[in-house]
Amino acid sequence: MRSRQGLIRLLSVLALMAGLALMTAAYAVSANRPQSSVAHTKSVGTFRAVIDTIDYLDTSQAYTAQSLWALWTVYETLVTYRHVAGAAGYQVVPGLASLPKISRGGKVYTLTLRKGLKYSNGKPIRAADFKCTMKRDFLTASPGVGFYDTIVGAKKFETSLKGDIGGIKTKGRTIKITLTSPRGDFLTILAEPFAALVPCGTANQDLSANPPPASGPYKIGPNPDKNRGFSLVRNKYFKPTKYIPRGTPNRVDVTIVGDADAAVQRVISGQADYTNAAIPPERIGTVSNRGQLRLRKSANTYYFWMNTRVYPFNKLKVRQAVNMAIDRSALVKAVWGGLGVTTENILPPTYPSYRKLTLYKRNVAKARQLINQAGAKGADVTVWGRQVSDSQQSTTLYASYLSAIGLKTTLKFLPRSTYYTTIGNSDTKAQTGWARWLEDYPHPLDWFDVLLNGRNIVHENNNNFAYYSNAKTNRLIDGLKKPPALTPAVNKRWANVEKLIMQQAPWAPWSNRTFPEFFSKNMGCISIQRLYGIDFMKVCRK
Amino acid sequence: MAEPATDFTLDTAQVLAEEEHGASIVGRSPWYLAWRRLRRNYIAFIALFVFVVIAVACSLAPIYAHHIAHTAPNATHTEDIVNGKQVLSAPVIGTDAQGNVVVEKAGGVLGPTWWHAHGRFVLGADGLGRDVAVRLLYGGLNSLKIGIGSALICVMVAVLLALLAGFYGGWVDWIITRSFDLIWAFPVLLLAIALGSALSINGFHHFGISISPHSLWIPTLVISYVYVPYVGRPLRGQILSLREKEFIEAAIGQGASPLRIMFSDLLPNVASTALVFFTLIIANNILTEAGLSFLGAGVQPPNPSWGTVIQEGQERIISAPWLTLAPGIAIVLTVLSLNIFGDGLRDALDPRAKVRVEH
Repeated sequence: MRSRQGLIRLLSVLALMAGLALMTAAYAVSANRPQSSVAHTKSVGTFRAVIDTIDYLDTSQAYTAQSLWALWTVYETLVTYRHVAGAAGYQVVPGLASLPKISRGGKVYTLTLRKGLKYSNGKPIRAADFKCTMKRDFLTASPGVGFYDTIVGAKKFETSLKGDIGGIKTKGRTIKITLTSPRGDFLTILAEPFAALVPCGTANQDLSANPPPASGPYKIGPNPDKNRGFSLVRNKYFKPTKYIPRGTPNRVDVTIVGDADAAVQRVISGQADYTNAAIPPERIGTVSNRGQLRLRKSANTYYFWMNTRVYPFNKLKVRQAVNMAIDRSALVKAVWGGLGVTTENILPPTYPSYRKLTLYKRNVAKARQLINQAGAKGADVTVWGRQVSDSQQSTTLYASYLSAIGLKTTLKFLPRSTYYTTIGNSDTKAQTGWARWLEDYPHPLDWFDVLLNGRNIVHENNNNFAYYSNAKTNRLIDGLKKPPALTPAVNKRWANVEKLIMQQAPWAPWSNRTFPEFFSKNMGCISIQRLYGIDFMKVCRK
Repeated sequence: MAEPATDFTLDTAQVLAEEEHGASIVGRSPWYLAWRRLRRNYIAFIALFVFVVIAVACSLAPIYAHHIAHTAPNATHTEDIVNGKQVLSAPVIGTDAQGNVVVEKAGGVLGPTWWHAHGRFVLGADGLGRDVAVRLLYGGLNSLKIGIGSALICVMVAVLLALLAGFYGGWVDWIITRSFDLIWAFPVLLLAIALGSALSINGFHHFGISISPHSLWIPTLVISYVYVPYVGRPLRGQILSLREKEFIEAAIGQGASPLRIMFSDLLPNVASTALVFFTLIIANNILTEAGLSFLGAGVQPPNPSWGTVIQEGQERIISAPWLTLAPGIAIVLTVLSLNIFGDGLRDALDPRAKVRVEH
């Protein structure tokens, strides 16, 4: 009896000790858990964002960073990017399909859709929808069609708008894409929102007011208005994967407010959680105390292009003089209050093929000399810019630098909606002006092939505003389309192409901008995806 | 007992003559009488003086820029150091442990030096390192040119159309007044913005006339066009009533040509009204020009006007309020002085009111 009581007593003590040990372990774990863990954060509920502008809510048309920021979570592509911050965010991972099997020297991509995929209306996502999506892009004159014209049959379809795109074949859940020639950036092109699947039979027009069903974690709520606002609500048919999370907010309310001060004030007053407003430089100090201000370094380059086919910029010495005349650090300071880095490069520093160029040290006297040598002193130059604050300021400063070296400048500002189409029309014969490029996808081809390959100059909607065409660099760019991966050797070749182009100076690049992103004080888990910006799918409340 | 000589009547003339010890009564023209009334209005003269000072200062803008400020209105000096301060300085930004931005040192533009920098940047610098005082004066010059020019064109065209409409009547009057109605149907500022925006992109190149988009003629003509009905309609009404007067009938009966009647009989009777309108509408047009330029539909950058200077300074309204205050005060003073002088001129020139008071 005594031994039995002792045994019970012993077991009780052991149980008590085990319980204490468990409690201690639990306490230790929770004490060491990072602040963003669920135990210390509240549910997000509705995430309220204030955005300055949206162009479209239709993936075939949307082509601004702000639109893609929202649509990336609504319409999934066959392959996609990781929802992580930093350079890892550039990694292409499975989306609706597996990573492709690439064969025939990089000309054939074979992908398999995941099982059981459904749109937000409950209908199954089919492999055939990819071909319908591509055809819809061509039929709606999507700005992204140029990325897909290497698919066999695409160019013919683009011209006739009838028939089939023979290079896309589907069977069951398998999609087989055949290219006319290998493209090293095709995987990243497949991850572009232009290739986000929509059902066959979707109307071939802008559906921003009545968007197609979603395939991503969220769907667009009823009655969206791209000029006033819209909501993103959960897509109940979406199944999270290793790479595509469910998203922490139950709902995202997006309000469009063009005025930066008004947008910031909404966050400060608690009416919104986040804004991407372009905060005026001298307000950075006051704003940063009243919320959480983060700086986002996206892959962008701001530059002044010079039309190499029009006097006086058809002369190399004039273009080189311009590069020597502009004060890049003054531009960054004046336009963005220092929120940016100066550059003479085409590629931004985020690229592994980036090698810093210092070809044109500022020397106004030498620039004047070059202008005189070129016989361009007193030449009439119209400088083009957009009717947007930062473009107006930088273009005005740029014109003052051109005047300082002996060119006679006149400024011409166009509305945002018509600027690029006007300067991209060869009939305009625009001499020089402002431009910027934000990467579509993380590959040098997105820069050099689109903006500086002479073989891609077109009469309308041209992106090569400098009308730069050099046989050697054209050949080098075309040659670099084939390698499937950006190895150190390939990156070195790209760096060489960049140097050769900048020696011809079709551009005067001046900055890589840093974007302010402003959050309310109670937001946490802020993650910046390198391509798409603030990843609201990961936010939490403190 | 003689009545005090406050209002001009025939009795007053008699009294004045008696006071002058039998001096003979000399007839005075209405203009002279108006001048006498006006010169007693000291407030109006002060206002006129203020306007003249502003106009003279603005017209001396090139001299000020070259000899005193040693710069040009569009010249940028972002990297210059004045009195030990940089004209344009960027904030020094760091980040805290959470990755939030922390401003370690605020940036900004050079504030007013108030003549401590030998005439440079008296009113400070703007966001592109340009001298605000120089841009203010050049801007005033442009604003005054547009304001006065558009007022002149507007009143001349309005008078001409009113004369034609009022004298001929019938279908001529119908066409002209319907044209006024058409222009008047649009909110004047919206119409001006629409026209200004459209013409400021490519200019005007029609009917053998070529005007560059940067020319000051664009805002001048746009503003004068939209305000023609506002001057034309009241003048037309006045001419319609004058048309029925006996002296016009007499002139017609004598065989005077329509042109003679319009310019020799009708026009002098509306001249004072037109003159008052001219003065008042200059102020109105300066305000309209400032509004258009602020919205990007008037004077095109980098050319300064008071409106563009305000627009360029609005982003820094908290850290550098003088960028918007200086042109704002200039507009207020100019418009106020013109309005006060215009009121005084109207009081002096408008004999109808005096006659009405007499009866």
